[in-house]
Amino acid sequence: MSKESLTQEAKAAVMSYNNKAAVEVANKAIAEGVDIVDVIQDGFTKGMTEVGTLFEQKKVYLPHVMAAAAAMNAAMDVLNPELEKLGSTVESALGTVVICTIEGDIHSIGKDIVAIMLKVTGFDVKNIGRDVPLDQIVEACEKYKPVAVGTSALMTSTMVHQKTLEEKLKAAGVRDKLLTNVGGAPVTQMWADEIGADLYTENASDATAKFAAAFEKK
Amino acid sequence: MADIYTRMGDGKRVTMTKQQILDDMQAGTADAADMAGVPILDANELDKLLDIIADKNRIVGVEPGNEVVLTYDIGQLDFTGDNGNSGNGVDMGRLEAALLHERALGADTFELAHADYSIKPVKPVISNEMQTMEEIQNEIVIPYFYGAMPNMGLYYAPDGPYSNPADLMREFKIEESMAASEAAAEHLARDIEFVGTKIIAAGADGFNFDTTASAGDADCVGTFKGVEALRKACPDAYINVGMAGESVMGIHGMIEYDGQVVAGLYPHQQCKLAEKAGANVFGAVVNTNTSRSLAWNLARSVTFVKECVKESNIPVHVNMGMGVGGIPMCETAPNDAVTRCNKAMVEIAKVDGV
Repeated sequence: MSKESLTQEAKAAVMSYNNKAAVEVANKAIAEGVDIVDVIQDGFTKGMTEVGTLFEQKKVYLPHVMAAAAAMNAAMDVLNPELEKLGSTVESALGTVVICTIEGDIHSIGKDIVAIMLKVTGFDVKNIGRDVPLDQIVEACEKYKPVAVGTSALMTSTMVHQKTLEEKLKAAGVRDKLLTNVGGAPVTQMWADEIGADLYTENASDATAKFAAAFEKK
Repeated sequence: MADIYTRMGDGKRVTMTKQQILDDMQAGTADAADMAGVPILDANELDKLLDIIADKNRIVGVEPGNEVVLTYDIGQLDFTGDNGNSGNGVDMGRLEAALLHERALGADTFELAHADYSIKPVKPVISNEMQTMEEIQNEIVIPYFYGAMPNMGLYYAPDGPYSNPADLMREFKIEESMAASEAAAEHLARDIEFVGTKIIAAGADGFNFDTTASAGDADCVGTFKGVEALRKACPDAYINVGMAGESVMGIHGMIEYDGQVVAGLYPHQQCKLAEKAGANVFGAVVNTNTSRSLAWNLARSVTFVKECVKESNIPVHVNMGMGVGGIPMCETAPNDAVTRCNKAMVEIAKVDGV
């Protein structure tokens, strides 16, 4: 089977939420000795990106995104040991991202979707939860040494904490070592500019595009 | 071309040219049409909308003869609340608030609401609510309802007995997540029937369900099932089903009401199911995008709601408050924007009430 056929099958497996088919494609790719990095990037990841786009268009919903991610994860469980043997990587060099819903705010669904899509894009995502105290976010930044920290706020009363976080990161001496990302319904580009955040992202597909652009340049 | 004073979706004051406003209106109506598969606003409607937005007066109003019913949700909390999401922070009793809305603010209906404004916390205090309902009904003249949010999030851990679907999803426990949503929806339906029948027995003229589907599609189904039971138990009750957004979020993804998947339904489709469940009035909601202009948001909102009014067999009372119906999302929505959005909804979307 050609690499093109395998990548198409990989993409189709993710887009049909089929764990079994995804694992079969992964095994075939190994057995036939094709470049598995290409199968991952042009097949599984592309399928996941299309599911993300359909989600933003409200054509599919949260369980579909999760089922697609589960299919991709099943394939990656098969492919990761091979990648290690070959010494290859799949854009994992994009780095670590710490993500959470900010202190005082319990709304987490949007943030969780962004976390999944960033993981699929190739970031090592540390999703540290919701209603996370600011000092705990700073501690996570010190511990994981991420390339970016993303905070979500769904209320005007909690988005103000994004500004305080900027100050706390500066005080801890880590602000200039990472990019800050803000999102959530009341958050705008103007708010990001006002508080000095590096990235404003409106939704999961916007986040993956802006993160990928920001870190491919580095 | 002279600049026109207008707003962004977060309430920020901006000036735009007539052409910029027109461009944003066209983009806004196209966005709604594309999402919901409904017609865009025609040239006459866009002209009328442009006139409303570009009006030189700070406050605008409907033309005589175009007045519509003015209903209120959230009860007394619009006066008493001061928690950063709405309200004026003026403490007063529920009787005083009801009479002020009736006698000073022109309310055609009003409602009694619990401080938490959700179905679940009302259950243990239903006797107190019944007593207050009786007392206020002795004083008030306008139809006086009970109002609450279905707020199915309160049925999930850590607040309720069911596992949190979002947490389960994150762990890829998709089927368990769906099962938790379905169980919570059944529980919500039972609670709606309990609270609704008790408060109507105490003299409430009806029940207003505010922010239906805020916890997603299962919340929507649970509410519709509760409304169905309430309608059966109280055939003469006035039931208003108000939504949480223009599209039902697919947290479950596949749950159905009356054989139809509710995830992704838009106002012109939501109103049909609300009617089937037993609602007398449908409360259409369109969320405001804070990064876009008033022109974009209002054209988009009117496009969704106009089609809803056209399709609905029951009256449509559009939600016009902070962050909905084109109105900016900020603690105290500016009156220039509030009045423009209301006028547009009445005179272009032809709503029956706001």
